Amino acid sequence: MYFFILHLSSFILFPMPPSFFHHLHPPTIPTAQARWRHTLAAGGTAIFLMLILGVTGILEMFYYAPNPAEAALSVQTITYHVPFGGFIRNLHYWAAQALIVVSAVHFLRVIFTAAYGHPRRFNYLLGLALFVVSIMLDFTGYILRWDVDICWPLTTGTNLLKTIPVIGDFLYRIAVGGNEVCETALLRFYTWHIFGLTILVVILGVWHAFRVRRDGGIAVPPPQLRADVTRIPRDELVRREVLTMFIVSIGLILLSIFVPAPIAAAMSVSIRESVTESVDVRAPWFFLWVQQMLKWGDPFIFGVLIPSIILALLALIPYIFPQPNEAEIGSWFPKSNRLAQIIVAIIGTIIIILTFINR
Amino acid sequence: MTNLSRRDFLKLVRDGFLVLSGALALGGVLRFLDFQPNPAQKTQFDLGSATNYPIGSRTALSEIPALLIHAESGFSALSLVCTHLGCNLGEDESGFACPCHSSHFDAEGKVTHGPAAKPLSPLRIEISEDNRVILHTS
Repeated sequence: MYFFILHLSSFILFPMPPSFFHHLHPPTIPTAQARWRHTLAAGGTAIFLMLILGVTGILEMFYYAPNPAEAALSVQTITYHVPFGGFIRNLHYWAAQALIVVSAVHFLRVIFTAAYGHPRRFNYLLGLALFVVSIMLDFTGYILRWDVDICWPLTTGTNLLKTIPVIGDFLYRIAVGGNEVCETALLRFYTWHIFGLTILVVILGVWHAFRVRRDGGIAVPPPQLRADVTRIPRDELVRREVLTMFIVSIGLILLSIFVPAPIAAAMSVSIRESVTESVDVRAPWFFLWVQQMLKWGDPFIFGVLIPSIILALLALIPYIFPQPNEAEIGSWFPKSNRLAQIIVAIIGTIIIILTFINR
Repeated sequence: MTNLSRRDFLKLVRDGFLVLSGALALGGVLRFLDFQPNPAQKTQFDLGSATNYPIGSRTALSEIPALLIHAESGFSALSLVCTHLGCNLGEDESGFACPCHSSHFDAEGKVTHGPAAKPLSPLRIEISEDNRVILHTS
């Protein structure tokens, strides 16, 4: 990671002949839309966090043992015995949490700057799929701790699958690898986490980035409607990217030094036998809003149906609502298509409120 | 359909075979993932001699989890798995509370507070010939 930053930082210090890194960037991009206050640097930061997750994840794999008897102990080994192990695990943890937040910010930026319209509609769906897969990666990674605190989120999360009519039991068996959350579930979650979902994120992520270029770069009005027609060269773009990576790295390093990732006592082989009064029953933070809704009644309606409807509604925004006005593309809070902005703001507010009222 | 050319017909057949082979492969993968290697969950628990549980006793067995009740009328048992989403219940003054989504059941297993909709399931108790209590969870 350090060498990566060093290499990129040489862009700032020395002029370089065109290289692969140049090739990843367009020669110039519009000044107005390249500003931090426009992009919030969210998409680029998400890519950077994924790179950190990949590197730290591979390092963790050298010690992690994906079987129920050893999993939690191997996490303890990484955290407390391996030199820099705790730091690397904390980096992995904090990068993963930051990825969810940054992806949500990126999503809100796209909605509130009307960047989702034609021809970017398909890329909007790719981005939404990336967000969902990232959340699944966060949840499966959390389960890999296999300590007593993951007991009930794993039990309720997988039991939710059973509530789906017709295919529920089948989905449960596929997810868990048996009829009870027991030994096989860990290996399945591990395989999904390090390979199945990761390869999906790589494919979707590369596709998403490729489509940004393919769809004409960052969303801007057509040239004749622009107030500011100036452009910045790619060296300037790379300089900003490197600066962002530098700031994000400092933030992650500070967090990883001072705030350790959660860890609890190891779970014995059977989930039910190892649960005591002191166990944390709260869902991971990004699912607290679902846990709060589940207190209201039918698990299928509140745990499966409503989250699916919200996701479907978000996916349909570029397709069912009127297209944003061309002159307003790429500016904050455009007057056209207010309805989409209001709906997203309401859904976002409700999710945040539910998260905070959950105990 | 009458003017379907030979070329179009062959394309249709080709596409049909592609879809069919894709569906077969998907079905195979799903069946592959549906294998259950571990032995079936234990459903029968020997709770020891019946004399260990005097009349009027209520014994919480957290490893099953279940509540064994010995009343005048004989032995009975309740599952202590929440009927909402399967967390283990904890005992309190007025019955059983679920830590996950705040469901509450009274001492007889009836729902006193949602989100759970169904009462706690009764479990079958069998007294063996040598007076041991056997609990069946299914």
